[in-house]
Amino acid sequence: MNPLRIALPKGRLQEKVLDVFAKAGYEIPTEDDLKTRKLVFIRGEVEWIFVKDCDVPVYVEHGAADAGVAGLDQILEHESNVYQPLELPFGKCRMMLIGAPGAPRLGNGTTATIATKYPRIARHYLDARALRAELIPLGGSVELAAVLNLTSHVIDLVETGETVRVHKLEMQDVVAEISPRLIVGRTVYRTDRERIRELISRVERSAGVPPASDGASRPIAEG
Amino acid sequence: MATKFRYPTGVRALLVEETARRRRIESRFVGLLERARFREVLLPIIDYVEPYSTLVDRDAARQSYRFVDREGELVAIRSDFTPMVARALAPALRKEDLPLRIFYRGDVIRVEATRLGINREIFQIGAEVIGDDSVEADVDVILLAASCLADFGIRPLVVYNDTSIAAALVASAPEAAHAVRAALLSKRSSDLESVRDSIDARALALITRLAAGVATLDDVAAYGPTAAAAERLRKIEAGVRGIDSAEFVLHLDDIDAAAAYYTGIRFRIYSHDARTRLAQGGRYDALYGRFGTPAAAIGFTFTIDDVDEVNR
Repeated sequence: MNPLRIALPKGRLQEKVLDVFAKAGYEIPTEDDLKTRKLVFIRGEVEWIFVKDCDVPVYVEHGAADAGVAGLDQILEHESNVYQPLELPFGKCRMMLIGAPGAPRLGNGTTATIATKYPRIARHYLDARALRAELIPLGGSVELAAVLNLTSHVIDLVETGETVRVHKLEMQDVVAEISPRLIVGRTVYRTDRERIRELISRVERSAGVPPASDGASRPIAEG
Repeated sequence: MATKFRYPTGVRALLVEETARRRRIESRFVGLLERARFREVLLPIIDYVEPYSTLVDRDAARQSYRFVDREGELVAIRSDFTPMVARALAPALRKEDLPLRIFYRGDVIRVEATRLGINREIFQIGAEVIGDDSVEADVDVILLAASCLADFGIRPLVVYNDTSIAAALVASAPEAAHAVRAALLSKRSSDLESVRDSIDARALALITRLAAGVATLDDVAAYGPTAAAAERLRKIEAGVRGIDSAEFVLHLDDIDAAAAYYTGIRFRIYSHDARTRLAQGGRYDALYGRFGTPAAAIGFTFTIDDVDEVNR
């Protein structure tokens, strides 16, 4: 049987995510492995691939990987139709609408410009509230756009809020609560069900995800 | 000049060898369908948008190329055969002609939002049975689709479910419909915490078990609004039992993101070895009624280049 191919995000979450899989009993690449420039490691029953966080949903959605871990920000921005069976209990943050110093609230008749790495999420946010603003897609350091008056606002992830405070920016609204998710491709979910169910339940146990709501563990006929 | 050496994303020309191979596969499919007493219909490549407007949600609408024609009417290039077949046939349907077995072939053109170069121009062959709402028709159509692949030496893996189960659960909680649908689609019931009080307890239990991937047909049968679907799925299970030319998997938690016009069984057929999706189909008993003549219908569509890819 082919190994299960799991795509993990390089960077900030990598260590914690690998720890979850290790605790779930999966053989993971060693620290020495990860110091090499290799991006693919076959260890035990899994082929691990390490990609940029924004690319994880793309690999999983198109079947190049069977499962992966991706932030909800990336899943939403790609409008990815992967399954998201587990929300992992770490790395949570908020996507915020942030104003430049003195910038008005959106929707009071002024023309706002918003810099963001997430133009699709931003567009959904604005459309859902019937707000008008011009979106300026940027690749990184998005807060700088508001600091340097390139735009009146930014939409970006906020973890500690330190950058916002240092630059005297104003948090104006929560766009979305963001957390990392275990994601699974639709085809593999349909065609390799047993292995995927096992993956989900092992990760669920090791990550300490709260058990599902009433009814998940007992047949309805007995309920 | 920049376009001199390339085609738009997702379309390509087939040269002599590829064309010959495409035509061979196409002829073989057509032969199989004609031997099964299906007759062909030809449909236009563009049609007005308006007749389909109540059928197509925003996401599906974004998948089609649309433009205003010279008369000022909004038209779309064909992106889905099934509603077009219903629109074409519904006005001419006579009771004495039913059940009617038809097939069609041609390109659909889709705007894919993907960053990958997935084909925008897809050659499909499909078939449907109109005017037969029986469970026997469900079984016959699934077996016919599977046997077409088996004829190409591909072992089919048929994954099936009934879209009316999810629809009944969403309808059971009008105030929490969005959350129910999201929980079923994402396979995560924790999102229901904030709305659980507005969901019937038995529906909530079934939703939770479906999202967790542990629901059984007994669970579905135990909840009144989904009991009929469970009964029908049991009959389909019995109908495909013992067929060894294909593998059949009832997948209750395979909830459809784009069930669109489907009202009953929904199935997808994969190559057992390559795990590539080659065909999909289902029952859409309300579709013909939307075009003026109520008639049950069930059908399937093959994407021919995918069959070719697996067959090579």
